[in-house]
Parts: sequence; C-alpha cells; structure tokens
Amino acid sequence: MDAVNESKLLMKIRPKKLTRLQQEARIGLLFLSPWIIGFVVLKALPILAAFILSLTDFHMLTPEATKFIGLGNYLHFFRDAEAGSNLFGSLSYFLLTVPLEMIVALVLAALFTSERLKNRRFSQTLIFMTSIIPATSIFFIFLGSLQYADQLIFRPLNLPPIQGFGLLLPFMTLWSIGPGFLIIYSAMESVSREIYEAARVDGAGPFARFVFITLPMISPAIFFTLVINLTGAFGGAVLLDRGYILNFSLSPMESYINNVMFQQTDLGYASALAWITFAVMISLTIFLFRSAKRWVYFPEEDEVNEI
Amino acid sequence: MRFNRKPSRGRDASRLTLRLWDFTGTAMLNLFMFLFLIAYLSPLPFMVIASLTPHDQFLDPNAPILPSKRVKFNYEGKDRIVYQVPTDQGIKHWALYKPSRQSSQFIDPENLQAGPILWQGQWRTLKADYEFAPTLDNFKDFFAIAQIPLYLKNTIIVALISEIGVLFSSIAVAYGFSRFRIPGIKYIFFLLIATIMIPSNITLVPTYFLYSGHMLNWIGTWLPLIVPHFFGSAVLIFLLRQNFKSIPRDLDEAAMLDGAGPLRILISVILPQSIPVVTTVALLHFFYIWNETRLSSLYLGISPHLQMISFAVQRNQTYFFTPEALMVGAMVVMVIPVIVLFLSQRFFMQDMIITQIEK
Repeated sequence: MDAVNESKLLMKIRPKKLTRLQQEARIGLLFLSPWIIGFVVLKALPILAAFILSLTDFHMLTPEATKFIGLGNYLHFFRDAEAGSNLFGSLSYFLLTVPLEMIVALVLAALFTSERLKNRRFSQTLIFMTSIIPATSIFFIFLGSLQYADQLIFRPLNLPPIQGFGLLLPFMTLWSIGPGFLIIYSAMESVSREIYEAARVDGAGPFARFVFITLPMISPAIFFTLVINLTGAFGGAVLLDRGYILNFSLSPMESYINNVMFQQTDLGYASALAWITFAVMISLTIFLFRSAKRWVYFPEEDEVNEI
Repeated sequence: MRFNRKPSRGRDASRLTLRLWDFTGTAMLNLFMFLFLIAYLSPLPFMVIASLTPHDQFLDPNAPILPSKRVKFNYEGKDRIVYQVPTDQGIKHWALYKPSRQSSQFIDPENLQAGPILWQGQWRTLKADYEFAPTLDNFKDFFAIAQIPLYLKNTIIVALISEIGVLFSSIAVAYGFSRFRIPGIKYIFFLLIATIMIPSNITLVPTYFLYSGHMLNWIGTWLPLIVPHFFGSAVLIFLLRQNFKSIPRDLDEAAMLDGAGPLRILISVILPQSIPVVTTVALLHFFYIWNETRLSSLYLGISPHLQMISFAVQRNQTYFFTPEALMVGAMVVMVIPVIVLFLSQRFFMQDMIITQIEK
C-alpha cells in the first residue's frame, strides 16, 4: 500500500516523468529552436508564398489588379524563348566553368601535397585570396585591366581588342577556385601514406597512383565541390559569398529573373521562373546524389546511421 | 671482388642521378608554382599601377605603362610639354613653343641661346616625353566623392551585431545537431543542407513583403540585414557541427558526471576546443557581410546614410567608369578583407576543411 501511495504521490509531483531519452530530445530541440523558427519563417513560408505568388499575375505597381491565373506563368515559360535560353545558359555555365575549375583545383592541390614545394602556406593563402575579393572589386579589376591587356598582349600580337565580357567568365572562374581547392587539398592530405607506399611497392608509377588511389580516395571532396558549383551556377552561394555586381550576375538565369522582377516588375512570373530554376537544380542535385553511389567512395565507419 | 665493386659504384652513380633528378624536380616544381602565382595574380599589380596613374595618361596611346607625367620645361614663364622630335641629328627632346598645323616652333632646353627652332611636320603625331611620377590624386578624388568613413562605420556596425547573433545561434544549433539523440534528426539535418541550395531569388519577393510596410515596416533600416542572422546560418551550422562531432564524447560524459548541464558542457567543454573553427565561421560571416550588395541595395536604397560599403562603392563607381577610378574603388573595397585573411590565415586555411562528406 505504501509503495503504491508513494508512487502515486510521485506521479502527482511529476505528472509526466520523462525518460532520459525524451528529456535529451527536448533539450536538443531547444538548442535547435533558433534555426527551426528561422527555417519556418524565413525559408519555408516564403517558399510557399512564392509558389502561391507564381500562380497569380501579381505586378509590383498594380497589386490591386492581381488575379489567380493558375499555371499560366508556368505555361508562359514554355513560350518564353528568352527564359529558356537563359536557363540553358545557366546549365552551360555550369558545364563550362566546373571542369575548368575542378581541373585547375585538382592539379594545384596535387602539386601542393608535394613536400618539396616551398612556402606552401603562403602560396595557398595567395591562391585563396582571390576568392574573397568582393565581386565589385573583381569586376572593376577586370574592366580596368582590359586596357593593359590590350596594350601588352593584344596589340603587340595584332589580335583584335577584347570585346565586352568575353574573358570575364574564365577570369571569374579561375579566381574562385579557393574553396574547391582547399577542400580537395585537405582531402588529399588526409589520404594515408601507407596506401601510397603499398602501391609503390607493387610498382605503380606516380600517374597510376594519382588515378587509382588519390582520385577514388578524394571522391567525396570532388562530389562536395561539384554540389557547391552546381548551387553557385544557379544563384546560390555556399561557403563564400562574394556578393553581386549590381543587377548583373554571372548566372544568366539569375540575371534574367532579376530583370523580370525589378525591370518588368512581374513578380508572379519571376516567382514561377525561380521555382522552375529550383526544380531543375534540385533534380540535377538528386541526379548527382544518385550517381554518387557509383563513383564516390564512402568510408565504412561509424557514420552509417547518419546522413 | 668483381661482384662487390661494380654494384656499389653503380649504386653511387644512381644515387647521384637520383639526387640530381630530385633537385631538378624540386626546382621545376617551385619555378612552376612561382610562375603560376605571377600569372594568376597579375591583374593585382595592374590595379595598383592604374590607381596611381593620372587620367591623361590613359588618353595617350603612346604613354608608358607605369604611372608617369609629361615632362615639362618652363620657358618664358609657361610650362611647355617636351616632345621627341625627329631631326637630321636624330631624335631631340624639345619643348613645344608655338604649335601650328604644318610646322611648329620648338625650344631646345639644352641650347636656349638658339631660341625657337622651326620644325616642319605635324606636332600632334609626335610622342610626348614621360617621367615616372605616381600620383595619389585618384584616391583624393575618390575619398572626396564617396563617404568611405561613413560606409565603413555602417558595415562594421552591421557586421558586429549580426556576428554576435549568427555565432550564438549557429553554435547552439550545431551543438543540438551534434550531441543530442532526437528522433528524426536525420531528416531535420537533411532539411538544413537543402536550405543551403535554395536560390535566394525564390524567397526574395515574399521576404521583401514581410519586411515592407505591409507587415514589419523595416525597409530603410538595418533590421532586414541583421535579424535573419539571429536564426543561424545553414552553412556555418554545417561547418560547426562537423567540428563538434569530432570532439570525443568522453569529455562530455566526464563533465556530466561532475553535474554539468548541457549548456555548461557547451561552454566549458566544447567551445574551448573549437576556437579555430569558431574563428573561421566568424570570418566567413564577416566576408559575407562585407561583400553583401543585394540586400543592401534592396532595403537600404531609400536611406543612403545607412548604406554599406560594397554597394555604395559599386554604385558610386558606375558614374566614374575610367580605369583609374575603377581600380581605386576595387582597392578600397578589397583591402580590408585581404588584410583580415592574411592576419587569420593560420585558422582559416586549416578549418575550412570538410574531410568527411556523409551521405
């Protein structure tokens, strides 16, 4: 009797006695709460609102005339040749710049793993430095350097002068290899020396060691860099955001959306375009993740039950 | 004997060649890296040169590359430009005295007694003499027009306040992700990664509406640039979580046995071991605020006195599209991030490392 009473009393004092796990989960959620609130208010709801907006013909200057037009904006996209070519432009931007960036970053990282290189830390900082230079400065440096390039290279070689932004793209790409280079380099550094030694004993040359050991071992880093670049090509920014150059973005689709949004003030259509871009990007990302199972090496450690 | 000697000599020789190869390889590698860095960073010296160059020099196609000014010679109280004049006795450096279309009068600075010399030919086709003379006038003009101290102050205030917010919230959230067993946390973390990939365009219109006079009325203030950071930043949370996870749990458990609560563990166990990554994250956020142009153009457009440095300089420079003005603007905007990077390279270069990509 006493024991039962005592337990009833305890139940009254602590009506819901949480198990340790439940308590841990509660405290954990408390720590997560800033991000969860921010996610709901600043990401999830705006994305939903953008979707609803994309079903209307909302114009910034005439909000009272807004009508629900269903999928009209999405259908308009298929008739809008300019939007299509800009989306294609973003894709080809990804396909052009990413190989260039990856190859340069890979070669540089491979060179930097050699202990014979002097002043490695300083050179790395120099290479990384160009990636933190604000877009504003890069744009100005590019335009201002055109004159010198003309005077020193193009005129003596009798080449036609540089037209517009033709060289801006490769220039920007090369000057943004910092994060990718660093990720790939640190992955290369973490490959254990024993594997290389074993391969050397088995008679593998430097090239074979690079192709058959280094590349597979650093494939997670390559994969991560690919995802970063994909996001960058469609107007997201991972790790380093260097800002924008006025309304001009290097991602064609993004500039086009900006144009529809701010010049034509057609917010409904702009939202629809943003959603289409997002959908294309997500499907490409899912494709990348699916393909990752074939070529990315995941170490079998205790990380199995994690994402 | 014979077997003993030959291989040893051969080994010596091969060791020598090996060392020679080694040396050549090292030299080649370092030379290659040196040349690569020179080519890679070559626009930067041009930036410095152009910013010190007077504007007139860009108009003269025959002008030298380095910043310089025209050589002048004072004659009869007036400065006269010195030209390279081709004569029968070779090229003479004469000052232009009386220009006219077909023939002009020149003064020979070394032979003043001769007086004005008549020279047949068009003086406009002559090359002017230049001497090396860098000028700071471009910077003076720039600082006279752009209120750099004001923009600098604005940027630093916004950076500091949002830095506090983003560090507090991101550290707390990363701690939550790395140390607690929460049902479904896998999916919440996946959601976090997914938000990194959401293009900013898609949320731009609804968030603008949220901050506009219809709801919060924050347009023309710094709040839209600061407050979102108090909810954490997905990329920074990701980086911090990676690092927190690598700290062994034994330390937590020891502290827990001593009666420390979760917050106590975060402050006295986790954070002291994560100073490098926290510094990295703080720097990343600083660069983000420094480079920010889109939100400041959108929300601060109506209050120029609150404007941030990147956008203000960018807008300013679009009116002065000359090479030297552009380069001055570029230098002003990039100099502080670059200094910060070099001061912090030890932390920064080591902890932007994502070793394990989990799936």
